[in-house]
Amino acid sequence: MTAEWLLLLAVVDSTFCGYRAAAGRSALIDKRRHYGRAMRRGAAWGFGAVLLAGLAIFLALAASSDPDALRQDLKRAGDRMLQVYMPYAVVLGLAFFARAWPSVDVRSLTSTLVFGPLTLLRVPVLVAGIVWGVMSAPRLVVVALAAFVLTMMLGMERALGRHYRRERETRADAASPARSQPT
Amino acid sequence: MNAGDPEISDLIVSIDSETLTRVPVRKADVAGTFRTRGNKRAAAIVEAMPERDGWLDPDFVDRLLVGVHCEMQRVSEEFQHGQRVAELLHPLLAALREGGVPRPLRVVDVGCGTGYVLRWLAARGGIDDDVELVGADLNLALVDEARRLAAVEGLRVRFVAADVFRLEEPATIFLSTGVVHHFRGDDLVSFFRRHDLPSARAFAHFDFQPSPLAHFGSWLFHAARMRAPLAKHDGVLSAVRAHSGQTLVEAARGGAPGFLCGLYGTRLGPLPIPRSFHTLIGLRADHVASLTRFLGPRASRLGPLE
Repeated sequence: MTAEWLLLLAVVDSTFCGYRAAAGRSALIDKRRHYGRAMRRGAAWGFGAVLLAGLAIFLALAASSDPDALRQDLKRAGDRMLQVYMPYAVVLGLAFFARAWPSVDVRSLTSTLVFGPLTLLRVPVLVAGIVWGVMSAPRLVVVALAAFVLTMMLGMERALGRHYRRERETRADAASPARSQPT
Repeated sequence: MNAGDPEISDLIVSIDSETLTRVPVRKADVAGTFRTRGNKRAAAIVEAMPERDGWLDPDFVDRLLVGVHCEMQRVSEEFQHGQRVAELLHPLLAALREGGVPRPLRVVDVGCGTGYVLRWLAARGGIDDDVELVGADLNLALVDEARRLAAVEGLRVRFVAADVFRLEEPATIFLSTGVVHHFRGDDLVSFFRRHDLPSARAFAHFDFQPSPLAHFGSWLFHAARMRAPLAKHDGVLSAVRAHSGQTLVEAARGGAPGFLCGLYGTRLGPLPIPRSFHTLIGLRADHVASLTRFLGPRASRLGPLE
């Protein structure tokens, strides 16, 4: 289940990357379409990144003189990555659960205590998970694969943001000066 | 950063409050102001802005400010600010209706920017037909964007580039968000003095509440959520400049003695935890009992109105 969990977390993370890349770019009140599209794009890009990672792992296994040993090392590294990523994901999940409560105070608190700080912690957590995973099997091919995955994860939000800036989001909001904001 | 520092957005736009015409701003003067005060970061942000013959490019500044307001709206949405305003506004409106205040009840947003609060109220706030929502700001670029956004969504709200205290159809209730900390010292008292119009029955000004953690919290949120360097700088500085509840109440009571003034929503329920925002309320004396009744369980959030 290690690979499945990592796949799921990667796609969920990139879905929220899509959300954050779109946030603060439309000033309409009803943004369901805006965010829906952004999150679908994030999920698609995340799935693409997962496929690339899978391809890289497949090639590494194919080129390895001892694929079983490499598979075991990758499994061990993946398990340790989950030890870091799962608590982070669980805390966020609980915060979303709490945010369903229709209270301005509760919802504000979830942002103050969880969503804001954990957004800032995302990069250190990503790096920590990779480092902790690689430490269980510190061989060149594992380090290289981990670095490849980390680069994609770290670059996801930035790439989505760049993509977003180039694209006019919706016809209704296309003329917004916010779209050409010099930021 | 200290409370006496101006925000960048205060200095890169200058509008003649009498004629409402845009006054050119010399870039070197603004950057120099920040350098003199030791605020190198703000100076660098200004120096990076495009200029025309030494004057800040007004088109760039307009686009920048519209973009910054869009980012600010994102944070307001995350913190449920529209709902927060609605939860106080509805009891206020009910109290005024019960008091027989002539219709329409005109709610005027002071320094509305791109009009997020009023557009949210118009779209989701359950505002009745006897209420007129009017946003006023001196900056025409922000008002134009507010009008455009309201038109796109077909919202029943009006935006005007005007001095909010000189509207042809004056306010019944003044609202604002993140505005009062821009007024310092005597200007703050003068600001409240201008509320005392015959038509005005109440005001509710929402702003950051100072607390030991406010500065750090504001930094954290602006680092996590904002993109524009100006938004990050001014957002954090806003929390630093925020007035204490006591300062606001004293200024309001001094400037607008025709209102009973007090604070609303300073603490999180019965806990000694300060909310991010607090609200200065002013109300004509004859509506106080009604407001307390219409607030229901939330009346415990209301401090003494004196």
